[in-house]
Amino acid sequence: MTAVAPAAHAPAVGWHHRHLIDVDVVTWPEIELIMRTTDEMKGILARPIRKVPALNGRRVTTLFYEASTRTRVSFETAARNLSADVVSISTATSSVTKGESLVDTVRTLEALGAEILVMRHAVSGAPYLAAEVFGGHVLNGGDGWHAHPTQALLDLYTMRENLPGGDLRGRKVAIVGDILHSRVARSNIWTLTAAGADLWLCGPATLLRGMDRWAAAWSGGAIPGHGRFNVTSDIDAALRDADVVMGLRIQRERMQGGLLPSLREYAARFQLNAERVSLAKPDAIVMHPGPMNEGVEIAPDVAISGRSVITDQVANGVAVRMALLYLLAGAHEAARGEAAR
Amino acid sequence: MTATGPMIGETVERFELEKAWLVDPVSGREGPGEIVVTDGILESVVWLEGEEAAGVTDKGVVVAPGLFDLHAHFREPGFEDAETVATGSAAAAHGGFTTVALMPNTSPAVDDPGVVERIRSAARASGSPIEVLAYGAVSAGRAGEQLSAMGELADAGVVGYSDDGAPVKTPKLLRSALLYAGMLGLPIVDHAEDAELTAGAEAHEGYVASVMGLAGWPTAGEVNAVARDLAVLADALGDQPAARLHLTHVSTAAALDLVRRARAAGLPVTCDVTPHHLAFTDEWIAGARRWAWDAIDADGTPRDPWADGVLKAGPYNTSLRVNPPLRTAADAAACLAALLDGTADAVATDHAPHTVVDKEVEFGRAANGISGIETALGILLSLVDAGRLPLARAVAALTTGPAAVAAASTGTAGTSAARPRGLTEGAPADLVVFDRADRWRVTPEALLSRGKNSPLIGREVPGRVLLTIAGGRLAYEDPEAGSD
Repeated sequence: MTAVAPAAHAPAVGWHHRHLIDVDVVTWPEIELIMRTTDEMKGILARPIRKVPALNGRRVTTLFYEASTRTRVSFETAARNLSADVVSISTATSSVTKGESLVDTVRTLEALGAEILVMRHAVSGAPYLAAEVFGGHVLNGGDGWHAHPTQALLDLYTMRENLPGGDLRGRKVAIVGDILHSRVARSNIWTLTAAGADLWLCGPATLLRGMDRWAAAWSGGAIPGHGRFNVTSDIDAALRDADVVMGLRIQRERMQGGLLPSLREYAARFQLNAERVSLAKPDAIVMHPGPMNEGVEIAPDVAISGRSVITDQVANGVAVRMALLYLLAGAHEAARGEAAR
Repeated sequence: MTATGPMIGETVERFELEKAWLVDPVSGREGPGEIVVTDGILESVVWLEGEEAAGVTDKGVVVAPGLFDLHAHFREPGFEDAETVATGSAAAAHGGFTTVALMPNTSPAVDDPGVVERIRSAARASGSPIEVLAYGAVSAGRAGEQLSAMGELADAGVVGYSDDGAPVKTPKLLRSALLYAGMLGLPIVDHAEDAELTAGAEAHEGYVASVMGLAGWPTAGEVNAVARDLAVLADALGDQPAARLHLTHVSTAAALDLVRRARAAGLPVTCDVTPHHLAFTDEWIAGARRWAWDAIDADGTPRDPWADGVLKAGPYNTSLRVNPPLRTAADAAACLAALLDGTADAVATDHAPHTVVDKEVEFGRAANGISGIETALGILLSLVDAGRLPLARAVAALTTGPAAVAAASTGTAGTSAARPRGLTEGAPADLVVFDRADRWRVTPEALLSRGKNSPLIGREVPGRVLLTIAGGRLAYEDPEAGSD
């Protein structure tokens, strides 16, 4: 791989989205562009000095309405690697706690100079509202149960990097856990069905509710550019001969909500342990978007086994986010007129 | 058309309309005709025949009785930044309505006759001739614990009782309310929702909510509540034969089936459907902007907005957040079928104006409701244009249908819902004139309501209202109509 400084490039060709809120509107050639740009960013990260001036003087603001360590640090590291100025707003320290609306907060941040707004919010769709009033670029760091596009893209990148041939077509990917409440699963449905993967979503029936409807709607290949996918509570069927096994976090709140009898029962039936993962192909990789509940959705030995690429995901997350910040910033002039979608 | 001259609220001294299409749902007659209003009285209604009728079709200027909205929120007292009786009345008149029945979820709630008098007084002060009727709350403070001052509210002239915004909380309270209201000759109007099943819900539980990551409001949430209400009604009838139930804004095919069967079994239950549940579906939240009847194949198979590439508008538009939520195209078709077969007696707007502050927020935090009293007629005329709904049925669903629901509200207390609902010679003129061929663009400026929360903003609907006369007085006149 040639490590070319992105700053030396012409403005990104083929990228025309002003915002990145979900992967649903990103075409496959655009995903390939993101993957290629991520390759270049990884080249930069391999250097002794991991910093390029691509976004020198550009202002990236992270606005997180939900607690997050890894995603926030990942975005801020990515922005600093590109020499951007980073301002970090969290709800605990901002006037949000005084009841300021999202719209007012975003307008204020823009007046303070924010150009790229990285946002995380507990309510699905919130970044679209921000994009309506923000003059710069909105990069979604996760909204409600809806979307987590950078996670899906780093997952795709990590899968391609670790699978022979770097191609997902026909590869079986099993995502196991709380699918219903997962923005990671939703964004992965878009990218992985676009990549041609044989996607399986698996979890207890209460945490899969509604996903069968979605799978049924897509079963006939009706959606341009996207294939079908499977939904099942049969963990063995989901894992058998899988190339990729991904666990999702199980939250304790699900018991209070009456959706699960106990974490113990979840672990007994769905935990990614060594025995279950052995159903997958011998060279299958194990993934998790974090943060993990080791001993619940994933056994500790599986999480740190030779099959695990979980730390690769974290490292690739920085590179993917560098790529997206770079592409969005470069698209600034070209895409000024584009609507929020 | 002749210019009328008077200001809003003044008696229409003289108004003549030649060669229009008249629709009289009382006589069941429609056709070419002419009307003359003199000193506020509908002096003559002439039906034209033969050569005189030549060129007059039902596609142009139409005269119908003034429309009647069984379900509106004018927000006064308590939420005057969203709407007042005065602004709501102006909006109603712009929508062709001459009578509105206001829901009691104000602050304070209409659980005491003093609040009814406050609303009346605001209506008088507004100068609008729109007849403003009020529902009383079922429970004190709409808290779902104790009955409101139901008898005193009846004496003050309420037309029924509702805890709208929320269902009557418990079956036990509903039973008491049906018995007591039945004694007073008034109906209970329920917003049917199983609040436990719908806690935290953001959108109809279905394909669109699954894709968009929105918490689901399941069909069972409405079906369960309607089934409860019907069971309690059947039970209450044993003790109080005058007990009556009206279910408002019924939105699902399954719940409408329950109502259909209950009516067939002779239960005294009526219901209404809303314009938005007839016309919009949950795919609008994803960004689709096609009518509900265009989102379903002839064989009843719903179309997929992602497959069809019809997602044109931005997603998560909060003007689409409403309770009950926008449903599927099949549910919308069931609402229409219920209207056509009489299971639904009326179309009621559930006009729910909100401030920008309450709507320009995250989708799941936005206030529920659509500002709909000015677009109800346009939506129904879109259904007529599409060949899905006869014009006469559309008019009946907005006039005689709701009037019949309210007119049954004449027990020991009596009510004021006495205006004529037909084109009756010699009665005070109460009518709307609209032009089906004249499409108008829905914009924040065009809406007289303070609530600009309409999903139709930026779109055109047919049937510009040219003139609304309420009780012989001018309620609305199109700014350009008089100068023609």
